[in-house]
Amino acid sequence: MTDDRRPDPDALLASMQQAARGHLKIFLGAAPGVGKTWEMLVAARLKHEAGLDVVAGLIETHGRAGTIAETGTLEALHRRPVAYRGQTLEEFDLDAALARRPALLLVDELAHTNAPGLRHAKRWQDVQELLEAGINVWTTLNIQHLESLNDPVARITGVRVAETIPDHVLDLADEIELIDLPPAELRARLAEGKIYRPDVAGRALSGFFREGNLGALREMALRRVAQHVDRDVKSYMRARAIPGPWPATERVLALIGPDASAQNVVRHAARLADALDAPVIAFHVERADDDAWVQSALDLMVQLGGSVATVSAPDVITAVLDYAAAQNISHIVIGRAQPGGNRFKRLALNSFGQRLARRATAFTLHFVPIPAAAAARPPASRRPGPAIPAYAMACVLLAAVTLAGRLLQTWLPQEAMGLIFTGIIAATASRYGRNVGLATAIGAFLLWNFFFLPPVFTFTVSDPRDVVALIVFLLVGIVTGTLAGRVRLEAEAATARIEALRRISLFGQRFSRATTLDGLLQDTAEEAAAMTKAGLVMLAGASGLQPGPAMPPGTVLDDAGLAAADWALRNNIETGIGTATLPNMPWRFVPLRADNIVIGVLAARPETPPLPPLAQTLNTLADQAAMAVARVRMTMQTAQNAAREDNQKLRTALLSSLSHDLRTPLTAIRGAAETLSTAGDALPPETRADLLASIAQDTARMTKFLANIMEMARIETGEIIAKRERVRLDTVIEAAIARVKGAMYAGINIPEAAAYAMADPALLEQILVNVLDNAVKYAPEGSRLAVSAVADGSRLRLSIADEGIGIAPEDCAHVFDSFFRATRGDRVAPGTGLGLAIAKAFTEAMGGTITALSPRLDLPADGLPGTIVTIDLQAA
Amino acid sequence: MTIPIGLILVVDDEPQIHRFLTPALAAAGYESLRAETGAEALRLAAARAPDAILLDLGLPDIDGHEVLARLRTFSDIPVIILSARDREAEKIRALDAGADDYVEKPFGLGELLARIRTACRHRLRQNNEDATVDIDGLRIDPTSPRITQNGEPLSLTRREHALLLLLARNSGRVLTHRHILAAIWGAAHTEDVAYLRVYIGQLRRKLGPHHATLITTEPGIGYRLRDMAEHEGK
Repeated sequence: MTDDRRPDPDALLASMQQAARGHLKIFLGAAPGVGKTWEMLVAARLKHEAGLDVVAGLIETHGRAGTIAETGTLEALHRRPVAYRGQTLEEFDLDAALARRPALLLVDELAHTNAPGLRHAKRWQDVQELLEAGINVWTTLNIQHLESLNDPVARITGVRVAETIPDHVLDLADEIELIDLPPAELRARLAEGKIYRPDVAGRALSGFFREGNLGALREMALRRVAQHVDRDVKSYMRARAIPGPWPATERVLALIGPDASAQNVVRHAARLADALDAPVIAFHVERADDDAWVQSALDLMVQLGGSVATVSAPDVITAVLDYAAAQNISHIVIGRAQPGGNRFKRLALNSFGQRLARRATAFTLHFVPIPAAAAARPPASRRPGPAIPAYAMACVLLAAVTLAGRLLQTWLPQEAMGLIFTGIIAATASRYGRNVGLATAIGAFLLWNFFFLPPVFTFTVSDPRDVVALIVFLLVGIVTGTLAGRVRLEAEAATARIEALRRISLFGQRFSRATTLDGLLQDTAEEAAAMTKAGLVMLAGASGLQPGPAMPPGTVLDDAGLAAADWALRNNIETGIGTATLPNMPWRFVPLRADNIVIGVLAARPETPPLPPLAQTLNTLADQAAMAVARVRMTMQTAQNAAREDNQKLRTALLSSLSHDLRTPLTAIRGAAETLSTAGDALPPETRADLLASIAQDTARMTKFLANIMEMARIETGEIIAKRERVRLDTVIEAAIARVKGAMYAGINIPEAAAYAMADPALLEQILVNVLDNAVKYAPEGSRLAVSAVADGSRLRLSIADEGIGIAPEDCAHVFDSFFRATRGDRVAPGTGLGLAIAKAFTEAMGGTITALSPRLDLPADGLPGTIVTIDLQAA
Repeated sequence: MTIPIGLILVVDDEPQIHRFLTPALAAAGYESLRAETGAEALRLAAARAPDAILLDLGLPDIDGHEVLARLRTFSDIPVIILSARDREAEKIRALDAGADDYVEKPFGLGELLARIRTACRHRLRQNNEDATVDIDGLRIDPTSPRITQNGEPLSLTRREHALLLLLARNSGRVLTHRHILAAIWGAAHTEDVAYLRVYIGQLRRKLGPHHATLITTEPGIGYRLRDMAEHEGK
């Protein structure tokens, strides 16, 4: 893979940002040589001369002189060489066109199939991308390339056109110009050698270019253009709500069976729907032996602009009729018979048609004729043929039985040998299938005839008994083999379905357990890798796709892979192997869609182009992963919001506390001051003294409050750094007790074993002051405090016990939160709600913990519960 | 000591508030009662029948709103809420529940005494519903269909008239938006504060510069018609 395949990201981005879609004009012809390219060039030259920026993206001149002359002055893009099977093909350079961004780009031959290795499989997809990038495109097309006309064209001309484009591409055209040339004139031009070289022209005149063919093609082209015009008119009238004789809503159902007629059924149904201006649905009842025919027919229906429904039901006819009734179907299209099928199948199919016809009385039935030439079987179909060991095993069995029979001949009747051979045939047929069974039957017949039937050691088919034996042997082989084959296929299909379901439920469960985004992505990659060879998840970030977890670990995408993944992300389509975009990538890229937004891409590396079950399972995986990602992201968002809300609550508590704690002393100070100033002389001296004392006290209270706030702010901004030094506890306790007024002590008990701690003495003193302050505040007058320390290995526990009102058990964990004040305490004692929070922050800064326990277990149960606050520090 | 001009019940759990209010009220000629809990406040209100109550909403035992509600079941004593600015919703709730006025902590003593005087006067007037209000030439006689200004009839719409009358009957008292809207526009319009704002604006314009300031806005809460004493004192 060379680097130049990677689309230029800037060009891509620019093209994505172009909001307006380009304008598409198709120069439509009935046959090669009518002069489409020439007409396009003439029109383009006029535009160019009028000053428009016209670029010839790709022009196929076919060596025609008139066409070459017309290309003259136009700027042409260089073709892009693509190596393919030893040849160098020159292809249209899409990226160059996107980078050049002309006002009008000419791209000849819309139905062209690109060389493998280019971004798109078909040129019309290139054109679609150009249009989406906002570039106006003119292109040419012959009518026989239209998908839905593929059958009629093949019937009329006897030539099946390989390069087709879906009909909806024609609908993309804003303008269709029909380049019409009467058949006689076209043949004359051909005869003059203006189209092909004389030797080719001769053959063409008697083949494709027969006058009848040209007439039929011309009619098709004219009708198609008329339809296009008709549609324009209809949509114009509808848009302006002009009432018209709109047809009653008809709906067409294409019934898809597992045979080659399926594609014809789809095409016919699509044409019918087109003519009726009706929607069309391809309907398929799943069967065990569904093969690639079904999938390609369903794909074709999607290409032709229809929808697809698949159900699983035991009775096909009932399923069809139920669905048709539910969907208001008016027309059902089915295949008349399977080409090249055997008689039994054809009979069975005919009877299917008849049975359907008997019961489908409410619907118009269309039987699609058998195509003249059977289309090539799609390549994806792969059924296991019998292997050589199977035949060898049959031979061994036959030889063994023959030998045994010869040895036991004396008492084993020859008829019994016949039964034994029948058994062998049934066994091999059921084990290895019909073909091996048939071969065994023939072998058994020959051996039986030669070794056991008189005259022995000769081949004689004289007796009618021999003929009957041969027929019975063959029948046993065919019937057993066919039945066994079907059972095996059904079993395989069932196993595959069960496996797919198991996987789906498995990753469903797995994802529902995922709580982190990384774990989820890892799970997704592992699931994808379990289904294929490798899996990789990428999430869309601000600067494009971010590679995520890969399985096996270390798997990475090359630049081309990244570009393809990017493509899948931006366009919300699957790309890579097995799709129409970049099909020769080894990876399949599935967009992760959550609520219609593409949030990333899942890459999986299958060994072969993924068949429907695998592709569907991958899609389900991608969908479930996307939903799980959305869920996990939402959970994370919710958690963030909750954290923000908590923060908000804290701020509210802070404001409320500030408000209360500042307002009360302020009111008291102001009131006392005003009372003194207005009525000072009238007041008794002791009242005046009390008011003045009150002012001093409340001022002190506010000062303390401010100091606490500053302390807390310093902790939160990280300004306080705790020292760790060997501190003698009793000196710190003495200092703290000296600062706390109004406390009485039952005892201070610091044993020598617990005398020293690793701490910051200033911080520890403040912790003790705050805890003691709090204890005094919530304890009745006259109650006593006890301070003690215990050593416990390398730790040291310092306890302060009070005989106060205690703390509700559920609040014990919260008393150290900022602004937490037990509700009953709120008005009982003045406080800042910060003292214990500061104690906690300081303790933690020293590597310790602080806890509260209430009620005290060592106090009498009938008194106040009391509280013990324990500070755990490192011993020294 | 002279005979007290009134008995005031002060309900607050902060001792410092009582510490200065008791001498301040005494100096202004009032006798005061002190209650630190809601239960005590209700007991004293029932037993002593004070002339006005100063009520702090944050009480340790019963919520202040509950105290007010219980008080209103047996008494229409004027209640002045001592509240904080950040508790707007609480103030409105208390006013709607029957409180007469509020002061914000930290309050000035002069302001508090003025509110107490207004509340006491208002209580006297309640017994004489149809008393004519005359403020500096603005004469509002509830029995007359006309409101006159310096003898000239004011040209008011029916709603404007009703609004001014309502404010006058409750002069000195804060009326919440909800109260006014329910009284004049009906119960369905209690949230339509924008109507009220428009009518108050029109009313102020029609009253002219001299009387416009009679209607004071209590931000976020409601309106109040200042009574004569306040108007003259300004």
